[in-house]
Amino acid sequence: MAPSGLRRPNDPPLLILVSLADGPKHGYALAKDIEDFAGVRLGPGALYGAITRLVERGLIEPAGGDDRRRPYRITPPGSAALAGALADMRQVTRTGLSRLGLDPA
Amino acid sequence: MRPARLLRWYPPAWRERYGGELLALIQDTVDEGRPTWRLRLSVVRGGLRERVHQAVRAGTAAAKRVSTGWLMTVVAGLILGSLPWNIKAPLPPARAWQATAALGALAGVVAFTGVCVLAGGLVAAPAFIAFLRERGWPKIRRRVAWAAGATVAAGGGLAGLFLGQRSMSSAQLSHSWAYGIGVVATSLALVAALGLWASAATATAKHLKLGTRARAAQPLLAAVTLTAAFAIVPANLIWLAAIQSSLAWLVVGVANLALLGVVTPRRIGQAVRQGRRLRAAASGRTTISPSAQRTPGRRRA
Repeated sequence: MAPSGLRRPNDPPLLILVSLADGPKHGYALAKDIEDFAGVRLGPGALYGAITRLVERGLIEPAGGDDRRRPYRITPPGSAALAGALADMRQVTRTGLSRLGLDPA
Repeated sequence: MRPARLLRWYPPAWRERYGGELLALIQDTVDEGRPTWRLRLSVVRGGLRERVHQAVRAGTAAAKRVSTGWLMTVVAGLILGSLPWNIKAPLPPARAWQATAALGALAGVVAFTGVCVLAGGLVAAPAFIAFLRERGWPKIRRRVAWAAGATVAAGGGLAGLFLGQRSMSSAQLSHSWAYGIGVVATSLALVAALGLWASAATATAKHLKLGTRARAAQPLLAAVTLTAAFAIVPANLIWLAAIQSSLAWLVVGVANLALLGVVTPRRIGQAVRQGRRLRAAASGRTTISPSAQRTPGRRRA
């Protein structure tokens, strides 16, 4: 949580979908990628809890590989869900910046 | 504590599916070192959350099954309990049109329900034939045998009641313990037969490989069939009210009808949207909710 008390967009399922948007990754690669682009270190329990829910909802799926380091890829419904969520966030971001006078657009 | 022992916090089914991957992730993370307390806490929390999630899901599914079973029993009981046994009683002339209309509606609703069930069977028929050709019969044989047995028992009971009605007067019937027990036993056999056929159909549907169109048609067909089946109750109550000149039954019947009128458009709308989502998901155009995935004939991943 940021010092101001406002929450960052660090929802594990969202971060996983963003990470998988550019190609399949296994658990460790996902954790490292998310730490790199979002600065969020997901523990193994949180990461696999989110992976389980996303697989159940058909938003990601296993992409072959061996049983121990099985990569996952985003599905077409997952891509659509991610696009929708990011569009919503962009709308909130634009509105907030505009009202603060920080966004020239 | 060794990393492998941390997995014991997770449910067995989850461990079987994801355990190897999680262990590999833990080993990659600690890189030959010992797991930190933070990592252990994350795994323990994840395991407990998974156990709670599975318990809640199992509880919800069980509650749905129980509530659906009770609802069907109540509906069956209402129908059986409200059946006018003395059909030959003379009708009050002023109520005759109500009885005729309600009886016509009742017959129409029963026929429409039968047509819906038949349509559902026809939609699934190609998949069912393919299932049988792939030697699927042994997978459902026991359930079908139980359902057929209950149907035979119910049929025997109905035949016995029919013979009893023909051989005894109304006064004799109302004082006959054997007839009363026969009515209860036949009612139970009818409910059991319905439940067992539903169970056999559900078990069969899980093995069928339905096409996209058939799966998309299912929600609407199910909603229409359920609505038609539930419409039998108010039609029956209004008919009963007409032939008995009972204001109370008329009020209950009309209230049932009004409730059905409120619920039906929403249920049909949901079914249409669910069918659209299934078609769209099959073509990869949009998201699909977990509820939309839970259609008969498909197992979840």
